[in-house]
Amino acid sequence: MNYIENIYICLAAPLLIAVLCMRGRGKAMNMFVLAGMTVCLLSSYINTFIAAVWGVGELTASVEIAPMTEEIMKFLPILFYLLVFEPGKEELTGGIIMTAVGFATFENACYLASNGANEVLHLLIRGFGTGAMHVVCGFLIAVGFLYLWDRTWLRLAGTIGLIAIAITYHGIYNILVSQTGTAAMIGYLIPLLTVVVVLLLRGKPRRTDFDSPDNR
Amino acid sequence: MIETIENAIQLTVTGLCSASALYYAVRSKERAWILLGLFAGVFFLGDLYWQLFLIFYDKTPPVFYISEFSWYTSYLFLLLLLIYINVENTEDWKFRLRPKYLCIPVFTVGMCIFYMHWGDYVGNIIVATLMTGLIWHAVYGLQTVRGQGDKGKNRRMLYIVTLVFCAAEYGIWTSSCFWMGDTIMNIYFWFDFLLSITFMLFLPALRKAVSR
Repeated sequence: MNYIENIYICLAAPLLIAVLCMRGRGKAMNMFVLAGMTVCLLSSYINTFIAAVWGVGELTASVEIAPMTEEIMKFLPILFYLLVFEPGKEELTGGIIMTAVGFATFENACYLASNGANEVLHLLIRGFGTGAMHVVCGFLIAVGFLYLWDRTWLRLAGTIGLIAIAITYHGIYNILVSQTGTAAMIGYLIPLLTVVVVLLLRGKPRRTDFDSPDNR
Repeated sequence: MIETIENAIQLTVTGLCSASALYYAVRSKERAWILLGLFAGVFFLGDLYWQLFLIFYDKTPPVFYISEFSWYTSYLFLLLLLIYINVENTEDWKFRLRPKYLCIPVFTVGMCIFYMHWGDYVGNIIVATLMTGLIWHAVYGLQTVRGQGDKGKNRRMLYIVTLVFCAAEYGIWTSSCFWMGDTIMNIYFWFDFLLSITFMLFLPALRKAVSR
């Protein structure tokens, strides 16, 4: 049996103390990591519930239900932050990525608890792969939300679209890593390669660049 | 066998279209290219998910169709592209409900009811809504380009390709209701091939539409 609530308490407690002790940007970032872990725990409950209602196994839940619930749940803390605090671009980007980091950290901790920690090479690849996948999905929504859509109608529909892209990307990743051998390795490598491409392109597309009068 | 070949062709074409559009987006800083890249990209991801599921599990996804969700999203991005192009190129653009355009929802709702005999209700309603928007904006665009001279003519191809895309989708859905087997004689594969071709036609069409 895997007591994910116990793991959550162990990981969340120090973060919660840090949140209470810190101020400013550091406090906000710690809160996002905590929020990411919390939504990961809640996603796990929702996945289990939906799988039970539809009567499907663990594998089907992992490749068909989990991508949907996890990506939507991951966006909820950000949506709350956005609507209540109306943050700037930098704070929001940091928030989205730190939520994804918190989510990936908790997921990896649960994986360790259920599968053991004796295969260091596999854990190294999985750790980076899962972390990169969640960060890529969060980054995708952040970039779209902050830099691509400047009108309300475009932002609303565009964000729904980008969440759908994140869900499909997550689904493809889950299908591949649920296999063994080369397929799983390709699955772990896809998000890592995406991160490399994103880092290479970082700084190039800016909202002000797109469709600004200077470029016409 | 023919289905696998067709899927491989479509994956290649959508992947190429998406990569090319995103390349043009980075180079030209035009938001229209981003929308085209996302349209083709999300369609590609949906196809890829579908194909991987078939390869690894030898069946289509039984519970929730992530691929279908992707395809609906790709229609949404194409719709956003058309709205964006129409808004950018038409002064005092606003939604006008003209009686002759009512035949569009009559057609899409009629087809939606027909498809509900085979598919789920929610998915069909979403598709009908998005297709109504796509056809409406393409027809509206074709109407507005008439009085805009050369500037308008440049956008005509984009609207025509969109209508061909919608026709190919309806051809695919209708022919899949009367499945004629995994053979080249099945008209489903012809429409699927036409759909793949339209993805490549979107590139020159948009290039012309955004040229100034």
